[in-house]
Amino acid sequence: MNAPATSAARPVPVPQVLSGLEPGPFHDRLAALNHQQAWMNWMGYASPSVLDTVEFEYFAIRNQSTLFDISPMCKYAIAGPDAEAVVNRLVTRDIRKLKPGRVAYCIWCDEDGQVVDDGTVFRYGPNEFRLCCQEPQLSWLEDIAWGYEVTIRDVSREIAGLALQGPTSCALLRDLGLDGIESLKPFGIGSFDIAGVALSVSRTGFTGDLGYELWMAPEGALAVWDALMAAGRLRGLRVIGYEALDMARIEAGFLLPKIDFLSAQTVLRADRAVTPYELGLDWLVALDKPHFNGRRALLELSRKPPRRKLVAIEIERDKPAHNALVYHRKSREVGMVTSALWSPTCKRNIAYAWLDAPYGQTANDHLWVEIYLQKEIRWQRRMARCHPVEKPFFTHPRRTATPPAEY
Amino acid sequence: MSARYDAIVIGAGHNGLVAAATLARAGRKVLVVEARDHLGGMLGDKDFRVAPLPFALRPDIVKALKLDTAVIHGAPPPPVLAFGADGPPLKVRGGAVEGAETALAQAYAALHARLGRQAGALGAMLLAPPPDLGRLRPGDLGGLARMALKLRLLGKAELRDLLRIALSNVWDLLEDEIGDGPLAGLMAMDATLGGAMGPRSPGTVLTLLYRMASRSPHGHGLRVMPKGGPDALVRSIADCVKAAGGEIRTNARVEEILVENDRAAGVQLADGEQIASPLVLSNASPKVTLLELLGVSHLDGEFVRRCRSMAARGMVARLDFDAPAPPALRGGGTLASGQRLVAAPDMRAIETAFNAAKYGSLPERPVIEATYDAATARLSVSAQFAPYDLKVGWSEEAKSRLSASVLAMLDEVLPGFGATTGAARVMSPVDIEAGYGAAGGHWHHGEFRIDQLLMLRPFDGAARYRMPVAGLYLCGAGAHPGGDICGAPGFNAARAALGAKGE
Repeated sequence: MNAPATSAARPVPVPQVLSGLEPGPFHDRLAALNHQQAWMNWMGYASPSVLDTVEFEYFAIRNQSTLFDISPMCKYAIAGPDAEAVVNRLVTRDIRKLKPGRVAYCIWCDEDGQVVDDGTVFRYGPNEFRLCCQEPQLSWLEDIAWGYEVTIRDVSREIAGLALQGPTSCALLRDLGLDGIESLKPFGIGSFDIAGVALSVSRTGFTGDLGYELWMAPEGALAVWDALMAAGRLRGLRVIGYEALDMARIEAGFLLPKIDFLSAQTVLRADRAVTPYELGLDWLVALDKPHFNGRRALLELSRKPPRRKLVAIEIERDKPAHNALVYHRKSREVGMVTSALWSPTCKRNIAYAWLDAPYGQTANDHLWVEIYLQKEIRWQRRMARCHPVEKPFFTHPRRTATPPAEY
Repeated sequence: MSARYDAIVIGAGHNGLVAAATLARAGRKVLVVEARDHLGGMLGDKDFRVAPLPFALRPDIVKALKLDTAVIHGAPPPPVLAFGADGPPLKVRGGAVEGAETALAQAYAALHARLGRQAGALGAMLLAPPPDLGRLRPGDLGGLARMALKLRLLGKAELRDLLRIALSNVWDLLEDEIGDGPLAGLMAMDATLGGAMGPRSPGTVLTLLYRMASRSPHGHGLRVMPKGGPDALVRSIADCVKAAGGEIRTNARVEEILVENDRAAGVQLADGEQIASPLVLSNASPKVTLLELLGVSHLDGEFVRRCRSMAARGMVARLDFDAPAPPALRGGGTLASGQRLVAAPDMRAIETAFNAAKYGSLPERPVIEATYDAATARLSVSAQFAPYDLKVGWSEEAKSRLSASVLAMLDEVLPGFGATTGAARVMSPVDIEAGYGAAGGHWHHGEFRIDQLLMLRPFDGAARYRMPVAGLYLCGAGAHPGGDICGAPGFNAARAALGAKGE
């Protein structure tokens, strides 16, 4: 108690709680910008859920450009003489039609025709592929590839990834001297370098907007980041977290495993697994190609209407329908909402919902959602009319325009 | 390719021939293609029979194919000689044992009868396709219902007893009922022969019941030598195929099962010849059929994984010794032609031999089953446990080491035999695999375990004979009910294929 009076004013460092998460390749920069210190666990990496405010981050996606660390994605290199056969055996799309230098969104199914996961297949050459997805798939891939001449490597930790998304993203990359980036078509792959670091750039993303994904070795990650941030100052570049991206992906019509559907590999209850037809992903299933995993089951499933369907719905009034149940004529429970959002860009109240047949397929009238609202600890229940609509909610010509306009 | 045949059967083992005969007698034009120069598979090689002592072809099949039961089931077999550690052998005829103390003989007779009744009830399932638990159809319930009824008829006490012992190990059962000794050794030998399990392994009561379910006019659970030897059995089924218009080609090794539009379309032989047929039944083991002949590209990854992980690790080596004269028995007399001899002095000896093999070594004292064939002047021995995945590899040296230890055992029960014979010819599980399309050199194409029986045989999703590629069927020992020489898988598979026509 004899301490001098001056020391009382000095701030005492407070011990921090260790999260137990792994720092990713961009962690040093993210940590400095993460004012909220809001981290989430994405495949063991510390990934920001929101850095500043979700509104600023969301609007940057639609109006400027944004940077999101996608290094935690699971990535697998599939190479060898049978690589095409193995990938074609894995996914439901006809991968023989995918040319080198192109990317395809794919799903893959188990032997019962139920979806195991979705992801993107990058074709770098005739015998060289990379698969990017949310859930670890190595043992699944090894089962699929057994008996084939192919090597499969988990390269998740060997490749750092950044999603650069937004209207000004192309201009930003051009500012950095990426000649020819403007002629890269949607789902195309090109090779460039930034700050002396070799990059593979694909015109892909999870926002439904103009945007790119940049893939590089982790050693060069910070140099690329710094160059992008410097060039982005005049292009309104903003670093974002998962929450803003989630808003954009709902608008863009993208489904999220673990939120909108569960992998057949993780469900405990057999009826929780879903088929491509239930997800409305019929267009991804090429039943006319040679045998692939789940083909015989999918053939059967394709012949009858799905027992339920994941549909996009638009809800009247403005309160987002998080976790809402869906009713027919306000009385009979026919489904539930998985993702919901008041879309600031579309100015529409949107959601994805699972609806039991025939609702969402042939019976689309008299559907209501039950929304619970809390106002100062008091809950209110509100029934709002909803209508199944076509996906996506948000689409913009700049997503596909080649070359993209100068913003 | 225009189809000249309604069905092709790959492999002329006894199950393949039974399948072919069943199809041919139902009016199908059948071709059997056999890679080797002889018929009968493991039963039929005159120079070296893998299965010199067949169990009985099931009487229902003999009847359905109108085979001559006097040939197939021959004469009542001579008593089995079960040798203990010393003294003359016990002579065992089914449930009757000669040379044992009265109390033991009575306990054995009671146990033999009880297991026979229980095996009979389970046996009702053997000639029906295993039920499809995913979608039960009334027609499929026949076998299940018959079994359920027979189990009920056993009475409450016996049913409770069956449920108590069915999944346990044969050691505990025999120790309780008859005590360890040559009789327990004989029964434990029947429970374990051909499998990767010792008497203390769980599930060995079930395998014993499986063997006890073998039936013939002479009783149940017997090895029955056909009149004229194994060749007579093979010949009569082959004649049945031919009489019904079927063709059999030897020296025709199938290299590939052809598939068109996700349907079996025929086979391609090693010389490149293609033979078209909308039905293909394979008597090769499931692993060989699916992974090698069909190819994984036609199958889903999970199905391939389950096929790969099927337990099929052969544990029996076959040795042939020249025997110019009938071998003399310890305790007097000689071994009769076709007579079965078992040298497994007690269960502990079997378990000890298994211990070595579990870890990939050869036992110092293998336990053996032997039979003498006067016509070829040969003593045929099945020695266990001789692991497929022998750590040092199946070199000539390993074979001669095994042969020396087997001969030492033989000398104990057939005194002086070693002096009269020369070097043995040895067939390891690796040789059996190479010679007979049986993955792992396993007699039964797959272990008899509770997780590989009934609707899980050969593995989950592949039961009921019909494979995912339409028109392709498994008709070998890998399929339900599997193994030994009973003909049931071939019979059941042919009936499944007949039933599915026009699907």
